[in-house]
Amino acid sequence: MIAVEDLRKRYGKTQAVDGLSFTVEPGRVVGFLGPNGAGKTTTLRILLGLVHANSGQATILGKHYDQLERPFCQVGAVLEASGFHPGRKARNHLRVLARAGHAPEKRVDEVLAQVGLAGAAKKRVGGYSLGMKQRLALASALLGDPGVLILDEPANGLDPEGIRWLRDFLRSLAAEGRAVLVSSHVLSEVEQTVDEVVIINKGKLVAHGSIEELKRGKDGRVRVASPQAKALEKKLVNAGFVVTEDGEALLVAGATSAQVGEIAASNSLVLHELSPLATQLEDVFLDLTSEETK
Amino acid sequence: MIAALSSEWLKLRTTRTLFWLVVAISALMTLIVVAAVVGGRTQDISGAKNQLDLLGIGSLAIFIALIMGLIVSTGEFRHSTITPTLLATPSRTSIVIAKAIAGGFFAVTLVGLAEALVALELAIALPAKGIDFAIQAGPAAGFIGRILIAAALWGALGSGIGIVLRNQIGAVVACFAWLFIAEGLIVAILHSNAIDSNAGRFLPFQATGAILTNGSRNSADVLSAAGGMAVLGGWMALFAIAAAVLLSRRDVS
Repeated sequence: MIAVEDLRKRYGKTQAVDGLSFTVEPGRVVGFLGPNGAGKTTTLRILLGLVHANSGQATILGKHYDQLERPFCQVGAVLEASGFHPGRKARNHLRVLARAGHAPEKRVDEVLAQVGLAGAAKKRVGGYSLGMKQRLALASALLGDPGVLILDEPANGLDPEGIRWLRDFLRSLAAEGRAVLVSSHVLSEVEQTVDEVVIINKGKLVAHGSIEELKRGKDGRVRVASPQAKALEKKLVNAGFVVTEDGEALLVAGATSAQVGEIAASNSLVLHELSPLATQLEDVFLDLTSEETK
Repeated sequence: MIAALSSEWLKLRTTRTLFWLVVAISALMTLIVVAAVVGGRTQDISGAKNQLDLLGIGSLAIFIALIMGLIVSTGEFRHSTITPTLLATPSRTSIVIAKAIAGGFFAVTLVGLAEALVALELAIALPAKGIDFAIQAGPAAGFIGRILIAAALWGALGSGIGIVLRNQIGAVVACFAWLFIAEGLIVAILHSNAIDSNAGRFLPFQATGAILTNGSRNSADVLSAAGGMAVLGGWMALFAIAAAVLLSRRDVS
């Protein structure tokens, strides 16, 4: 649905995007992560035809954005919480876009209600809070009832209640079969929202996969305690795992709880504890991006 | 294209900019008409010819038409609305054309309003001073028609200049510096003994003068009204092409 292939973009001496490739499938919410200056916004803007790539392809539904028929009705985008004339009322802002983008004008009131701005529809945008502007930007993206959504930091400016609302909202959009690509630096928030993540740094792909895959692949460890610790350690090492002592227990790297439990059971070894060590996405993200930076 | 044009039309109607421009034009026209009628000598404001010249006061609104055209385009960059505009209308050439038409149309509306106001005020103020209102419909229509054509071209030209320059204040300052300083200097230099050229008549302000005076100054230094329209239209087309090329090549980030 969204395909980025060997994408490159250079600004002067800075290589903003450097051979980036990834895909996003329908019905998936994909987090697009990276530190500041990683090239996230540039990539999203290339996808939307706002920035010209030096080479490579960035397509949506198999075409470049400007080659799509009525693209506004196929792709919705939130790129910044600005992009509003402060003297224009929110409802009129959406009417302007609906006209230009061939979206039915009746959608204006529908999307305003959908994002919880129906009561503020006739207020000038200059009087909006940052959170309200984010909601209005989301309403703009939904005007054409698109199957693909590209959202750049949509959680910026939202209060905790707004973030929870956004999380449920994105999930509901994906449940309707839409593909959602959402960039964010609020990693803990993304962890609760997305099906998979694309992590980039310095314009290059660092990792792409489900959150569980990334956590397991990067730092999957299981803590296991047994009265027969020495025997268990030997069996685990023979199975190819790296085992270290942690007080009375053992830490098994690169293994799942199921793998460790099966090895113990097949060797009739008693277990007193078997628990995966929780790894935060933030740790994975920092590990991946700092490795790339070195 | 129709969708982009309809959107531009709505954009201009849904901010307070248009309202304040109408207020500014109305106040300016009223002030000038009152000053001309109250302060003018009777022989200077009597007769069809003199009164037609007074009607030309409305042509000052062309400067506001230029500002209108500039605002149509530079406002997009000032408020970053160019991003949603391009998402809704990815064809950048369509945006340039739609803005040129919208700028021209609004310029005609504003200047038409100014002319109607001036005509109304003259129709009231002149008899109040004991002077017959002598303007005839035929000559007035031709004169106002030329003013409206100049306004349309300046509105469209302003929108092209706005896309090329992008910065709103910078564009307004640059345009007025050109009109009131640079163009006059260039014409003077071209007229100097060393060069002795009448090429200055092809500059935009001089071409506008030719349209408004109908070439009545009648010399090799002044184009005919039709020639003025063609030259001003050429400037408009030149900036529209430059705007389309630059907008297509630029990254919007």
